[in-house]
Parts: sequence; C-alpha cells; structure tokens
Amino acid sequence: MKHLNEEELIERYYGKGDGPASRHLEGCAACAEAYDALQRDLAGVECTEPPARDDSYGERVWQSLAPLLLVYEAPMRGRRRAGLWKGLSYAAACALLIAGAFIAGRQWEHGRQRGMAENNPAPTRQRVVLVVLSDHLDRTERLLVELKHADAGSAEMVSPLRDEARSLLAANDVCRQDAARNGDPELTAALDRLNPLLVELAGQTDGMNSATLARLQDQMNADGLLFEVRVLRSRIPDRQAAMATRPNGGTI
Amino acid sequence: MGKNDHAAIRAILCGDKEAYGELVMRHSRSLFRAAFRITGNEADAEDVVQEAFLRGYRRLESFESRSEFGTWIYRIAVRCALDRINGRKTGESSRVAEEADPERDEVQVADRTAGPDRILLSGEIAAMREAAMQSLTPTERAAFVLRHMEGHSSEEIAAALGIAPNAAKQAVFRAVQKLRLRLAPLKVRT
Repeated sequence: MKHLNEEELIERYYGKGDGPASRHLEGCAACAEAYDALQRDLAGVECTEPPARDDSYGERVWQSLAPLLLVYEAPMRGRRRAGLWKGLSYAAACALLIAGAFIAGRQWEHGRQRGMAENNPAPTRQRVVLVVLSDHLDRTERLLVELKHADAGSAEMVSPLRDEARSLLAANDVCRQDAARNGDPELTAALDRLNPLLVELAGQTDGMNSATLARLQDQMNADGLLFEVRVLRSRIPDRQAAMATRPNGGTI
Repeated sequence: MGKNDHAAIRAILCGDKEAYGELVMRHSRSLFRAAFRITGNEADAEDVVQEAFLRGYRRLESFESRSEFGTWIYRIAVRCALDRINGRKTGESSRVAEEADPERDEVQVADRTAGPDRILLSGEIAAMREAAMQSLTPTERAAFVLRHMEGHSSEEIAAALGIAPNAAKQAVFRAVQKLRLRLAPLKVRT
C-alpha cells in the first residue's frame, strides 16, 4: 500500500473531505496518525488575531485618502471628445458641401458648354471667319500695294494682279456677306468699296493700258482702300481678343 | 453589495470622487485584516490598506464591471502587503529565531510581557509562532495566510499573488513544512 506523502496530507487538509486521500485515511492507520499530527500542528498555527477596527475605521481611512485623490474627468473628456467629434463632423460636412458644390459646378458648366456648343456654334464659326478675313485682308493689302506700284508696260505684272483679284473677289463676297450678317457695318462698307476695284481688276485682259492702270490707282487712292484695308487688318487682333473674352462657357 | 459597488464606481468615473468613500468604508476592515495577517504588523497593515485603496482608485478605469470590486481591491491589498514584506525583508539584516545564531544572522525575540525570572508560556508560544512565520518567504507567508487564515483556494491565491495556481499550491506546502519544523519544539513543551 502506498502511503500519502506530506503534500497529499496538506492537500487533504485544505481540500475537500472526499476523494482517494480520504478513503485512504479511513483504511490506513499510519496515514491517519500522520494526518492527525498535521491537524494538530496547523491548528496551533494561528496568527495573532488582527486588532479590532471599529466602524469609524473606514471613515478614517477615507479622510486620510481623499486629499490624495484627483477627481476623474471622464465627463469632461467625454464632452471634449464629443466636441471633437462635433468639430470633425462639421468640418466633414463643410468639405462635403464644398466638394458637392465643386462637382455640381463642373457638371453645370460642362452641361452649359455642351448646350452652347450644340445650340450656338457661332464662336467656333466666328473664329474661322476671322482667320479667313485676316487672310483675305492680308492678300488684299498685298494686291493693293502691287497695284499702287504697278507699271502699265509690264504685261507679266498685270496678269498676276488680275488672277489674284479674281481669287479675292469670291472671298471678298463671302466676307462681306458674313460681316453684314453679323451686323458689322464698318467692315461691310469697306468690303463693299473694295468690291468694284476687285471686279474691274479681275476683268482686265492681258494688255492693260496705262490709262486703265492710272484710273484704277486713282480709284484706289480716292477711296483710301489701301489705308482702310490696313486699318481693318490692324483691328483683327482686337476682334480676336473680343472673341476670347466673350462669355462662352470657359471651364475652371 | 456588488451592485452598489458598481454604481459607486460608475459615479466615481463620472467625476464623483466622494463615491469612493463608500467603497473605502465598506471594504477597509476586510483589507486591514488580510494586510495585518500578511505583514504581521498593525502600522504596516494600515499603510497597506491606504496604499491599496490609492492604487485601486488610480486603476479604477481598468476595473472590469463583471468582477467584484471587493475581490479586486483585496488582490491589490495582498500585492501591496507582499511588496511591503518584500521590502522589509531586503531591508532587514536579522531574522527572528528560537535560538540566537550569529552565523545565520538570527536573533531571539524577547517577550516583554514576561519577567526576567519567569517567561510566560503563552508569550513564548506566541513569539515562536511569530518567529516561525517570519522564517517564511514573503510569497510563502502570503500564500499560507490566504490559505490557512483567509480560506482562499489555490486559484484565488494565485490570482491575488500573480503566480500560477501550482506555484501557489507549492508555496502553501513549503510554508506548512517550514512552520511544522519551526514549531516542533513547541509540541515537546506542551
């Protein structure tokens, strides 16, 4: 038979009354004697009973402790946290509002641009007309300068003038109609005055006599056509600038 | 009781410091009893109670509401008491012994209640018991007190001392063995 060791006896002493150790103690005199000795020894180990503390002891402890304690600031922290969340929410709402306004603005702007482009293609067309007009005035100026310095005896000089005048005549007609449609009386009048000269020049045969040349030069000078064409040319950049600044739906 | 404790803790954490007074008044006597048994000294026990409640207050935010405040603060008090006797052990240069033994740096405890010519038996027994308790390590002493005098289980002792349950059990075994050895002469006299 295996006897209980001291650890097992101690465990039995502090443990529950049943179990294998208890059964063993019932049948083993030696272990029962050892267990009795342990019980006597431990029964003798009683520390001095703690000094009595009356009901006011807790109060005294509290009185000495209270000054050392700081008040918990949980509600303050909670308010601060709530304030922080409130601020963050406000900032987020503002950011959303700004972003929404930005996106809506872009959508609206693009929609407006699309609508304008669909319903009113004039700006693009006008830009093309300006380019054509600029080119037309440029060529016209060169023609007039050559006419001014032309020599009636030189047949090879008259022929290019005539060909150029024929080419310019059609362009002049288009520009004049466009200027009239756009309500530009100054340009319309200038192109009107240019037209007879171009017609006459375009109708010349190879042999232009000096009298005809002098008459055309006089007509040109009398009408101040070269000057007027130069003025009109110089105003082309202004027209382009006016086109650019016109509210035609620029994007941001 | 536990419900009231939890309500008081909620109030404290909401800024009502005075509510802690209820907890102190409710649990200070049980803490003092345990602290005295572990430290064996009235003044130390009072300090332990104060320190335990102070530590408890500062850690109150970490208190889990599913626990009992009484158990929680009791464990803190046990740790404080253990710290106290640990510090005392390292600070002491002598131990109490039955017989003076300069080589082991031990001294005898004089029973001041007895006259020079006659030592009262009860006083001697009390001194020997105290000497025997002093021979235990702080952990053994705390474990033994919690087991033998406070009636806690090994698991509860382990939780209070921050050690494994088996280590708590072994600490109790070692304490009992040492005490029986130390108090063996007492059996002969009685």
